[in-house]
Amino acid sequence: MNDMRITERNVDANAIKIAARNCQVYYGDTHAIKDVDVDIRDKTVTAFIGPSGCGKSTFLRCLNRMNDTIDVCRVEGDIRLDGEDIYDAKVDPVQLRAKVGMVFQKPNPFPKSIYDNIAYGPRIHGLARNKAELDEIVEKSLRRGAIWDEVKDRLDAPGTGLSGGQQQRLCIARAIATEPEVLLMDEPCSALDPIATAQVEELIDELRQDYSVVIVTHSMQQAARVSQKTAFFHLGNLVEYGDTGQIFTNPHDKRTEAYITGRIG
Amino acid sequence: MNDAHIVSSYDRDLESIQALIMKMGGLVESAILDAATSLETRDEELAEQVRKRDAAIDALEEQVNERCALLLATRQPIARDLRTVLTVMKISGNLERVGDYAKNLAKRTGVLVHMTPIEGAAGAIRRMSVTVEGMLKDSLDAYIQRDAELAEDVRHRDLEVDQMYNALFREFLTFMMEDPRNITACMHLHFISKNIERMGDHVTSIAEQVIYLSTGVMPDDMRPKGDRTSMDNVEIDG
Ligand SMILES: Nc1ncnc2c1ncn2[C@@H]1O[C@H](COP(=O)(O)OP(=O)(O)O)[C@@H](O)[C@H]1O
Ligand SMILES: [Mg+2]
Repeated sequence: MNDMRITERNVDANAIKIAARNCQVYYGDTHAIKDVDVDIRDKTVTAFIGPSGCGKSTFLRCLNRMNDTIDVCRVEGDIRLDGEDIYDAKVDPVQLRAKVGMVFQKPNPFPKSIYDNIAYGPRIHGLARNKAELDEIVEKSLRRGAIWDEVKDRLDAPGTGLSGGQQQRLCIARAIATEPEVLLMDEPCSALDPIATAQVEELIDELRQDYSVVIVTHSMQQAARVSQKTAFFHLGNLVEYGDTGQIFTNPHDKRTEAYITGRIG
Repeated sequence: MNDAHIVSSYDRDLESIQALIMKMGGLVESAILDAATSLETRDEELAEQVRKRDAAIDALEEQVNERCALLLATRQPIARDLRTVLTVMKISGNLERVGDYAKNLAKRTGVLVHMTPIEGAAGAIRRMSVTVEGMLKDSLDAYIQRDAELAEDVRHRDLEVDQMYNALFREFLTFMMEDPRNITACMHLHFISKNIERMGDHVTSIAEQVIYLSTGVMPDDMRPKGDRTSMDNVEIDG
C-alpha cells in the first residue's frame, strides 16, 4: 500500500474538458484570481475548496462567463472548452451558458410552474419542435434530476412551493434541460438538510456519467465524498490541485493541510 | 505555521490518545526487561509480576481503540490527523502483541527455573531483549518527535535481532544434539528467542507507522530480513 488513493476514482485518463491558463480576474483594483492554470476533466467531479473570499466563486464564474455580467470585473488569460477559446469574440455567452450550466447556493426556481421551470431553457434555445418533444425533455430532465417521482403528479404547481432540497434538484434538472456538457455548482447544498444533501450528492455522482461537474463547497467531507479531483484556492491562488484521495490523506502544501484539518495555519 | 487546531478540544482529544500510547509503551518496555531479568536471575516472583501486569497493557489497548472510534465518529479527522488516528490504532495493537510475548517469556521462566540452566542462554536472551527494548524506546521517541530518520534506523536494527536469533537457534540445536536431556529446556528457550525475534518485527512495524505518519507514505523497499532458520537443515547421522 503506497497511498490511500482508491483506484476506481482514477480519472486521469478522462479527456480534458476545460483548460484554463494564466487566468487573472480583477474587480477594479482587487486582484481576485492570480495566474490560475487548471485542467478540468470530463466525466469527473472536481471540487473547489478554500476559505471564504479566496476566489472559488469568481473562478467558477469565469468558466461560463458569468463574470461578464459584473461591470467592474475584468478577466484575462486563456480558457478553453474542448479546445475552443470561450472568450473569443464570436462566442455567444448565452449559448455558452447553455453548454456550461450553473446551479447556485440558494435554490432559485422561477416563480412559474414546475413544468415551465424546466421548459424555459429548451424553449429559448429552440430544442423542441412541438409540445410532445417539450414534454419529453421535461420528463427526461426531471428524471435525471432525481425528482420526477416526487413531482410528476403536480407539474402545474409552482416550483417555489417545493421543499428546499426539491427546489435544488429542480434547479439542477433545469440546468440539465438545455443539454449542457459542464455543470457548475456553487455551494449547492449549503441551504439543505442532511437528507436533501445526500440526495443531491447521489445525483451529482450519477451526473458524472455524462457531464463534467465542478462544485464549490465549504464542507470538506462533501468534497471528499463527491469529487475525484480537488483544487484548493487560497488568496486568489490555486495552491494545490490533485486527486481527492491524495488531498485528503496526504496534502503536499502546508496551507492545504492547515485548511482541511481545521488548523490556524 | 501554527500547528494547533482552531477547535482546541480536538487537540486535547488527540493528545490524550497519544498519552495512552506512551503509557502503554512504558509498561511494555519494563515488561520486556523484567521478563528477561527474571529468566537470568531465576526470579519466579518477578516473572509472576510480569504476567500479572499484562492485563493493564490489554486494558490500555482497549481504551485506545474506544477513544479512536469516538474521535473518528465525532471529528472525522483527515490528512495528518487521520494518519495519527490510524497509526495510533496500529501501534497500540503492536504494543499489545509485544506485551503478550513478554508475558509468555515470564511464563516459561516459571518452568525453566526448575530445570538445569543451559550455559550462556539466559545472558544471550537478555542481550537480545535489551536490543529490542532499545528499538522500542527509539521507535516511540521517533513517534513523538515525528522523526522518520530515527524510525528508519530502528527498522534497520531489526537485522541485529534476527541475527541474534539465528545464532541462538544453532546453539540450541547443538545443545539438544549433544544431550537429549537438554531438549525440554532448549525447546522453551527456543520459543523465547523466537518470541523476542517477533517482538522485533512488531517494533519494526511501529517504526514503519512513524514513517507513514510523518511522510504520508509507507516505506516500500524490502527491509533486510535476517531470519534464515526456516532454511536451515539439521544433519543427524550415526
Ligand atoms: N462583484 C464583486 N465586486 C467586487 N469584488 C468582488 C465581487 N465578487 C467577489 N469579489 C471579491 O473577490 C474576492 C473573491 O471572492 P469570491 O470569488 O466570492 O470568493 P469565494 O467564493 O471563495 O468565497 C473577494 O475578495 C471578494 O470580496
Ligand atoms: Mg463563493
